Amino acid sequence: MKLLVCIKQVPDMESRFKPDAAGTWYSESDLAWRMNEYDEFAVEQAVQLREKLGEGAELTVLSIGPDRVVEAVKKALAMGCDNAVHIQDPAAALKDPWQIASMIAAFAKDRAFDLIFTGMQSQDRGSAQVGVTVAEQLGLACTTTIVGFEYDNGTITTKRELEGGVKGVVKLKTPALVTCQLGLNVPRYPTLPNIMKAKKKEIVAIAAAELLREEPLTTTASFHPPAKKGGGIVLEGEVGSLVDQLIGILKEKTAVLR
Amino acid sequence: MFLDLTEEQKLIQDTARDFAKAELEPVAAALDQSDDRGPLLANLKKLAELGFMGLNVKGDYSGSEAGVVAFSVAMTEIARACASTAVTVSVNNMAAEVIQAVGSEEQRRAYIPKICSGEYPAAGFALTETCAGSDPAGMCSQAVDDGDSWVLNGSKIFITSAPYAGVFVVWAVTDKDAPKGKGISCFLVEAGTPGLIVGKEEKKMGQHASATCELIFADCRIPKSALMGKLNDGFRIAAGELAGGRIGIGSLGLGVGLAAMDYATRYVTERSQFEQKVSNFQAIQWMIADGYTELEAARLLLMNAAYRKESGKSFAKEASMAKMYATEAANKSCYKALQMLGGYGYTRDFPVERYARDARITSIYEGTNEIQRLIISREILRNSS
Repeated sequence: MKLLVCIKQVPDMESRFKPDAAGTWYSESDLAWRMNEYDEFAVEQAVQLREKLGEGAELTVLSIGPDRVVEAVKKALAMGCDNAVHIQDPAAALKDPWQIASMIAAFAKDRAFDLIFTGMQSQDRGSAQVGVTVAEQLGLACTTTIVGFEYDNGTITTKRELEGGVKGVVKLKTPALVTCQLGLNVPRYPTLPNIMKAKKKEIVAIAAAELLREEPLTTTASFHPPAKKGGGIVLEGEVGSLVDQLIGILKEKTAVLR
Repeated sequence: MFLDLTEEQKLIQDTARDFAKAELEPVAAALDQSDDRGPLLANLKKLAELGFMGLNVKGDYSGSEAGVVAFSVAMTEIARACASTAVTVSVNNMAAEVIQAVGSEEQRRAYIPKICSGEYPAAGFALTETCAGSDPAGMCSQAVDDGDSWVLNGSKIFITSAPYAGVFVVWAVTDKDAPKGKGISCFLVEAGTPGLIVGKEEKKMGQHASATCELIFADCRIPKSALMGKLNDGFRIAAGELAGGRIGIGSLGLGVGLAAMDYATRYVTERSQFEQKVSNFQAIQWMIADGYTELEAARLLLMNAAYRKESGKSFAKEASMAKMYATEAANKSCYKALQMLGGYGYTRDFPVERYARDARITSIYEGTNEIQRLIISREILRNSS
C-alpha cells in the first residue's frame, strides 16, 4: 500500500508578522519555522497506519518550498515516514492554492498512491483548499477535517466534527484523500536516534518547474494588519438619552439590533 | 565560519523545547515545593525514551549519537523549564559518557543501555567527599583488594540522584602510598549492593526536585570486574570527564538565565508605572541589554566548547571558560530579572525567585568557578612559559 502525506512548513505562530516589500505576504526575515500543526496530525496518522500495515506499506512525505522546508521534511522522516520528496520552490508563498494542489497532483498522478493525508489547512494562509483540490484533480474520494480514522482492507472510516459538537461518520474506499483536524491524535515527538537516522533516508528533489503547469486562479492583493482602532466613544448625558444614543449606534453601525 | 545549527541539531532543540514546554514547565513549580518526586521520575523516563540520556553516546549502546552541540542545546531547553530535571539529565549523560570512554566492552553493554533507555531512572557520579571538594585528589574513601573482590569503605557527599540511581561511578583510593592523585581508581557500583547506603538528603536552596545525598560505603563488597579503566588511573579519568560535564552545567545555567530574562522582559512590557510601560525606562532597558548580551556571549562560548569536543579537539579550557561565564551570566540575569519584577519577583507567585535559587548552585557545582579560573589560567600559562 502506497501512502503519501503532504506537509507545509509555516512560521511559528507566536512570531511578529510584518508585510513584505510588495505588501502581499509576510516578510520571511527573522522568523522561526516549524511544521504546520494540522500536518503533524496528518503525519502521525499516516505513520500509525504505516506501522500497522508493516512491511507491505511505503509512506512518502512531500513538501513544497525553499530549502528551509527540508527541516520539516526531516522531522516527518524522524517521525516514521520512509522517504521524502522536496518540490523545490523558493517562491511557493506566491503560488495560489490551485497551483500548489496542481503541483502535488502532477507528482502523485502516475504514482498510484492508495491514500493521501494532508492537514485540513495551513496555519499561515489557511485556505483549506489544497487537500480537497488535490483529491478533485486526481479523482480521489475525499473527506475533510477528520478527528477519527480507521482503516480496514481498502475501507476508511473517518469521524468528522460538525458544528455544535455533533459528530459525523464518513466511510470511503481507497484511493482516497483525507484532511486532518485537531483532535485526531497526539503527534509523537521524534526520538533523537530517529532524528539522526533520518539523515540516511532519501529526499528526492524535484524542481517546481517540472510539475507546475497551471496558472493561478486567485491572487492575494494585500497583506496588512488591521487598521488601529480609535479610542472609542464616550457617551454623556442622562440615562434616558444614553440609552437612545446607544440604541442608535447599535442600529446604525452593527447588526445586533437589525 | 558557520554559526548556525544543523537541521538535526535544530530538530533536537525543537523536540527538547516542545517537550519541556508541554511536560516539564507545568510541573516545575510544584516539584520545587513538594517532596513528591513522582512527576520528576515520570518525566525522566519519557526523556530517556526520546533519547536525551545518551546524546553523545553511540547507537551500539542505545545512545542517540547526536553529539555535544546537540547535548548543549538540549540541556539549555530542558533547563529553561526545570533546572532539577536538567541537572539529572546532565549527570546521566556524563555517567553514560564516562562508561563509554573508559569502561570495558562488557561494562559498556551492561550499564549504558540501562541509563539511556531509562531502565535506570538515573546514574550517579560519586567523586566529592567531605575531605575532597575542590581538591578531589585528596579523597579518603578506600577500595581494598580482597582476592576476588574489592571492599569499599568511606563516604561521598552531594551525590545527585542517589536515591534513584541504578549505578554509581565511584572513585576511591587504591594505593594510599602513591603520590597525590596517582593512587585513585574508578569503579562501577550497582544500587542495592550490600554495604552501599544512601545517607541523608541535603535540604538545598534550590533545585529541590533533584535529590542530593550522602553515600556511605560500609564494607561494600563489589566484584573484581567492577574496576573501570586502569588501576590507579581514576583521577585522570575524573578530570577528563568533568570537563564534558561542565558543558552540560554551563548550558543548564544558560537555560535558567534565559528563562528569567524572558519572563522579566514580558513582564516589563505589561507592567505600568508613572502612566507608562516599565519597559520605557532606560534603567530597565539597560538590564535587558546587559542580561541578553551576557547570555548570548555565554551561548557562543558554550557552542565553541561543545564544537571543539565534538570535533575531537582539546576543550578543557574552553569548557571551563564557558561554564564559568555562563553560570555567572545566569546568576546575574536571574537577579536582574528579579529586580525587574520588583516586589513580585521576590514572591512565589512568580517563577523568577525559583530561577534565582536554581541558578545559584551552578557557579559552585561541577567545579566551583574559582577552580574553573585556575584551570583556565593554568592552561594559558602552560602555553606561554
